[in-house]
Amino acid sequence: MKFSANWIAELAPGLAVKPHELGALITTKTAECEGTEAYAPFLDHVRLARVLDVRPVEGSKNVHATIDAGPLGRKQVVCGAPNCRAGILTAWVMPGAELKGGRKIGTAQVSGLESEGMLAAGDEIGVNREHDGILEFSEGAPGDPLPGIAPDHIIEIDNKSLTHRPDLWGHLGMAREVAAITGVALRDPVPEVEWAGEPPLRVEIEDYELCPRYSALVFENVTIGPSPLWLQYRLESIGLNPISNIVDVTNLVMAELAQPTHAFDADLLKGSTIYVRRARPGERVQALNEEEYALDGQALVISDEGGAEAIAGVIGGRPTGIHSGTRRVVLESANFQAASIRKTSSRLKLRTDASMRFEKAQDPHNTVRALARCWELFQMVSPGIRLAGGLVDNAAPVKPPPVIRLDLAWLNRKIGRAVDRQEVERILRSLAFGVEPEGAEALAVTAPSWRATKDISIAEDLVEEIGRMIGYASIPPRPPLAPSEPPPDSPEREYQYELRRRASAQGFTEVYNYSFLSEELAQRFGFPPEEHIQVLNPIASDQGLMRISLVPRIVRNIEDNARHMDSFRLFEMGNEIHKRAGATDDGLPAEIPHLVAALYAKDGGGEAGLFELKRLAGILAPGVEVSPAGAARCFEHPRRAWTLKSHGETVGRVFELHPSHCEHGRGAILDLDVAALFRLRPAPVKYKPLRRFPVSEFDLSVVAGSRVEAGVVRSLLLRAGVPTLLGVEFVGQYEGAPLAADEKSLSFRVTLGAADHTLSADEITAGREQAIAAVQAAGYQLRM
Amino acid sequence: MSLADTLQELKESATGRIARASSLDELEAIRVETVGRKGVLAGAGKEMAQVAKDERAAMGQLLNAVKAAIESALEERTSAFQAAALTARLDAEWMDLTVPAPGVNPGALHPVTQVQRYLEDVFTSMGFAVLSGPEVETEFHNFDALNIPPTHPARDMQDTFWLEGGRLLRTHTSPVQVRGMKRLGAPLRMIAPGRVFRNEEVDPSHEHTFYQLEGMMVDREVSIAHMLYFMKTLLKEIFQREVTVRLRPGYFPFVEPGFELDIQCLLCGGGGCAVCKYTGWVELLPCGLVHPNVLRAGGIDPGEWNGFAFGLGLTRLAMMRYGIDDIRLLQSGDLRFLNQFR
Ligand SMILES: [Zn+2]
Repeated sequence: MKFSANWIAELAPGLAVKPHELGALITTKTAECEGTEAYAPFLDHVRLARVLDVRPVEGSKNVHATIDAGPLGRKQVVCGAPNCRAGILTAWVMPGAELKGGRKIGTAQVSGLESEGMLAAGDEIGVNREHDGILEFSEGAPGDPLPGIAPDHIIEIDNKSLTHRPDLWGHLGMAREVAAITGVALRDPVPEVEWAGEPPLRVEIEDYELCPRYSALVFENVTIGPSPLWLQYRLESIGLNPISNIVDVTNLVMAELAQPTHAFDADLLKGSTIYVRRARPGERVQALNEEEYALDGQALVISDEGGAEAIAGVIGGRPTGIHSGTRRVVLESANFQAASIRKTSSRLKLRTDASMRFEKAQDPHNTVRALARCWELFQMVSPGIRLAGGLVDNAAPVKPPPVIRLDLAWLNRKIGRAVDRQEVERILRSLAFGVEPEGAEALAVTAPSWRATKDISIAEDLVEEIGRMIGYASIPPRPPLAPSEPPPDSPEREYQYELRRRASAQGFTEVYNYSFLSEELAQRFGFPPEEHIQVLNPIASDQGLMRISLVPRIVRNIEDNARHMDSFRLFEMGNEIHKRAGATDDGLPAEIPHLVAALYAKDGGGEAGLFELKRLAGILAPGVEVSPAGAARCFEHPRRAWTLKSHGETVGRVFELHPSHCEHGRGAILDLDVAALFRLRPAPVKYKPLRRFPVSEFDLSVVAGSRVEAGVVRSLLLRAGVPTLLGVEFVGQYEGAPLAADEKSLSFRVTLGAADHTLSADEITAGREQAIAAVQAAGYQLRM
Repeated sequence: MSLADTLQELKESATGRIARASSLDELEAIRVETVGRKGVLAGAGKEMAQVAKDERAAMGQLLNAVKAAIESALEERTSAFQAAALTARLDAEWMDLTVPAPGVNPGALHPVTQVQRYLEDVFTSMGFAVLSGPEVETEFHNFDALNIPPTHPARDMQDTFWLEGGRLLRTHTSPVQVRGMKRLGAPLRMIAPGRVFRNEEVDPSHEHTFYQLEGMMVDREVSIAHMLYFMKTLLKEIFQREVTVRLRPGYFPFVEPGFELDIQCLLCGGGGCAVCKYTGWVELLPCGLVHPNVLRAGGIDPGEWNGFAFGLGLTRLAMMRYGIDDIRLLQSGDLRFLNQFR
């Protein structure tokens, strides 16, 4: 929202603060100022001048004009505007001026003639957007500054910081803040008007919830034309486009009082009743912005006998809009429910200056004030205009604002320092709050109507009013009481950090990936799209599903990084999000933390990477075991995929990527369910006494088929039932003569022992024979 | 030739050969040949039987002397050879440790992880519990419980990703305020770091996925003055230096009063520079006294308890700390970027 510093100063007379300081004051006390910029500073070098005579310039459209600049003397100016003619009072830019974009004006040779400065069109000096001719003024004396058109400063306030303040969407509201901050008086621009006469219109409101108030005036003998230039300049300076006198006044009043109004051509409305009602489903409105909108049954419209003529609070209709021939005007000034306007505006994707204001819950008391101000200005811009009848005003009774009890001791405790009772009262009154004493310790406070719609309802709201006005810098910081108890710990979080730390110590770099993936990507990995939670309004079509696996994005990381590196390791810790309900009691989906590590090597057969990941799994989850996978998934190497188990429970998977998912080189992936690992995490270590008696070891070599896993044979030995067995360790394997081509020999070192004695030769022999018997019973031969 | 002459000659020739020997092997051969068990001297010993009785003692002495001379010569040469061999071995073992060590270098933790971890430690030392909340949230926890009713314009400020079933992706970590209050009750000190989502187009300074850290303190006496002190202490820890802060009004429905907390620009010290847009101040975090409706939603009586809450932008802090100028790098998975944070 743009504010004119000149305008604010007019409403807060006596203001002695420079515009830049004003921006800083507003920032610290009211709302965030995003910047303060000089607007049309060059107007100091622009004066009224009368064109005395005009001489054609041979071979050019330009004319050579003599102008009278009053006390500044007569000047010769070359001008190309078609309306440059003797007698007009126009804007003369003096040599030395620097216009927008650094355009310097001096004494120049134009068409071979000397031109002292130039005559200006509206867009050249920021008055309006006209470029077809030089400005023409109807009043003022040559040599004077342009009437009502002076250098200004524009203070830009962040709209977000005005969300809760309907009143700050107009200059009067901001001027009230400035007056309260600086201690000057506020001038209310709205005149007192006695409305007399029968209302010339009927207004029927279908639902007072949606439209608590609809006020209107009817005007006749209207002349449509351009606004006075000071008015155009004022709109232009805050970014509004001047259109015509009547429309410009409505925009000016909106920018001043925050109350949007709308002018209809009365002769184009059918009947003499205005209906405020919900749209009929499918009803259409041709809007002023040349678009046509189809409405649903929830939008509120302004309708006449013929149908919807405007989308309430959002935009007017073109067929009934003001045009050059308009003679009679219906001026609407209404109040609409914020939520309804917000809904309609967002459904239509149409945010207008009006809808932005109504969304903030405007003050119903403001409708007639805006009409009074418009009426005053209409008389200035459209001489001869008359009121037809009296005020039309259909309103639901407005609830009086609540009386808030403000306990002064409580206020001091909230702020953290004592604030004088007189100071509190002064601040609240300067912001137009009603203040009555309520005993010695409290005040009874009533918010002004424009703050009572939503903004102010409880005593905490008053803490903010007092706090910001005394200045937060005046509050001395005070240490809070120290906590009496240590905070509860979060073992799961610590566990996750430990995993991250270990993974990075093993050379894996942490990546963060999005939680989204596309349907196409899910399908490429064989994850059925319907198993994913859908995003209803994705930012892009490739981000429509919530991930149920971190793997697809990790594979994308592999592809991306393989373009720059021949080998690398990375991992991510993040949540899988599953449709099934999770642990919370509100039925939210399960969010399961996973750690996915990947290892890529451009060269090599891939085994080393898989072993590295197996090592990592053992480091992250000591005791985890590799066991055969069921069927490999489509993105897994069919012979290189395993599940990882801990205490018999599946906790993850390790696999090499299928060549179709890793075209060049080898990518291997470890996917661990961190929630399961945490649940199964090892208990704190309990010390075992050192062995007092020696152990016995012997080696066994078992001949097996070349695709028999060592782990299978090892577990045969472990489960052979040898009472003295302490351990079985894989030593190595051998392939080649004299073994058959499809055979290999697996060697294990078997350790036997007892806690309370040294094993006898008989015990050792018995153990060895029992182990051999178990292997042979499973159909394997021993290699001697 | 007499035995004495033979021994004398043996001594001469053996010591000569020892002196000329060029290897340990050669010395060993000489040893075996001369003083070995079956060597020449052993043979000479057998001949002693034929030596006349009165000469035998002198001859025995000579024999021992010759043996000792040869052995001593052998020993001296052997240790010389050994010393030379050791010197040669050691010399041969020259190595270049300037080449990289085999094995992998450690990887890096994500910069946001590092900043988050640091902050968690700071807060834990100040008595704060570290809590987590779900990324998929209910409308209730994300909005209603935070005093943002369905019609509230504040919902415009946050572009929400909506999921099927009326769920949403949390737009801030603030929902954990209510979950934390319900879980821990008052008094309470908690933070909740985590991933949040906004439906925003991605560009160098905007992301739809980023990281926040919510903080909350509830106690019987909590004022703006307490909050200011706490924030100053916290920011001193974070930036490892004294920082000047200012509060100004900021609107967030879940706090009342609500503030934007600015810090005096650390780059220019408040004089004005490009980073602070020549204002001398940098907007750092939103905070405020907890709105009574939020305390109520958390099951805490606002008549008895007060609180303050704040939200730190973890992503933003990480970018400030490491001078990262493009937010998209954080989610890029690009190891050329991430490996810099080792
Ligand atoms: Zn600076």
